[in-house]
Amino acid sequence: MTPEQRLADLRELFLSAPESSATRVLAVMLSLGLVAIVLRLVKRRTLREEYTPIWLLVAVAIALVSTVGPLLDALTRAIGAWTPSSALFFFGQIFLVAICLNYAVRLSQLTLQVKNLTQELAVLRTVVEQGEGSPR
Amino acid sequence: MLIIPAFHEEERLADVLRGVAAAAPDFEVVVVDDGSGDATAAVARRGGATVIRHPFNLGYGAALQTGYKYARRMSADLVVQMDADGQHDAADIPALAAAIARDELDLVIGSRFLGVGDYQMDVLRRTGRAVLQALIRAFGLRISDPTSGFQALGRRVLDLYVRDSFPSDYPDVDVLLVAHRHGLRIGEHAVAMAKSERESTLHGGLAPVYYAYKMLLSLWAASSHPRSGATREGTR
Repeated sequence: MTPEQRLADLRELFLSAPESSATRVLAVMLSLGLVAIVLRLVKRRTLREEYTPIWLLVAVAIALVSTVGPLLDALTRAIGAWTPSSALFFFGQIFLVAICLNYAVRLSQLTLQVKNLTQELAVLRTVVEQGEGSPR
Repeated sequence: MLIIPAFHEEERLADVLRGVAAAAPDFEVVVVDDGSGDATAAVARRGGATVIRHPFNLGYGAALQTGYKYARRMSADLVVQMDADGQHDAADIPALAAAIARDELDLVIGSRFLGVGDYQMDVLRRTGRAVLQALIRAFGLRISDPTSGFQALGRRVLDLYVRDSFPSDYPDVDVLLVAHRHGLRIGEHAVAMAKSERESTLHGGLAPVYYAYKMLLSLWAASSHPRSGATREGTR
């Protein structure tokens, strides 16, 4: 048996290893907890509604991949990973990078808006003060 | 109109304003106090300037842009900008503004490298200037002092510089390149300058590295700006 064949067999062994039901239960609890936290933040007006879909989708995705076994197996095989947990980390990191970039873009837009508002305020205040100081 | 962005300049601003009053009495002086925690605004008012005050610090470029926005609101056709640290000589203001007033140029840069004065640069800054010059020359723009903050601007430049793309921190060669690509007429006028406080602050820690990185990125972004109209430059 060549080293490549041994590695392929070893990988198949990893992929076919039975999953612990504790992991599934933990993932479902994590998913439900995330939904609860998001809804609570919205209720307290700490999180705006337009930011909630992405996190609810994440919760649904966690619940799906943890309960529908073949789904995570298929994903793991598709990306060439050895274990389902590696696949989860891979997709998790992609998601985190994407969301950070998205927030950086939003932050840039907000910085520009704050700058423009501040400039407008400063200019208008000067104009108003000039009007108040001029003879009537 | 003369725009002076100022941040924590209570000590030097009074002398600058006295110089301006003597050399360019016809100019309305506007000091943009960029959120100073000292008496910069009070000193400016005592010196007879109109004061625009940012409630907090936005950066040198944003302070300049606030001045441009005010100038447009006041329908000013000609703006001269100078620093508040005494680096620039107010006696040069009329000469800088002359070509704009005659509508021969849209933007005049006060250059310290055209044979007037004895401005000395260290190796790092000389290298940086050479690199910037070479980069903008690749885009067809020949400027001897691309980082000079002593400039005279016409109405068309104001219209361009109030846009969101104007940088809040260091508006240097990138904005010159944008002006060039919009077909604005850019020229230079020889001026004498003292050591710059603003440029000295760029020598701390990683600041020069960030400046170089930011300028390269800005130049790349500016180079993709749409080109419009014919371009003319001249050294005066």
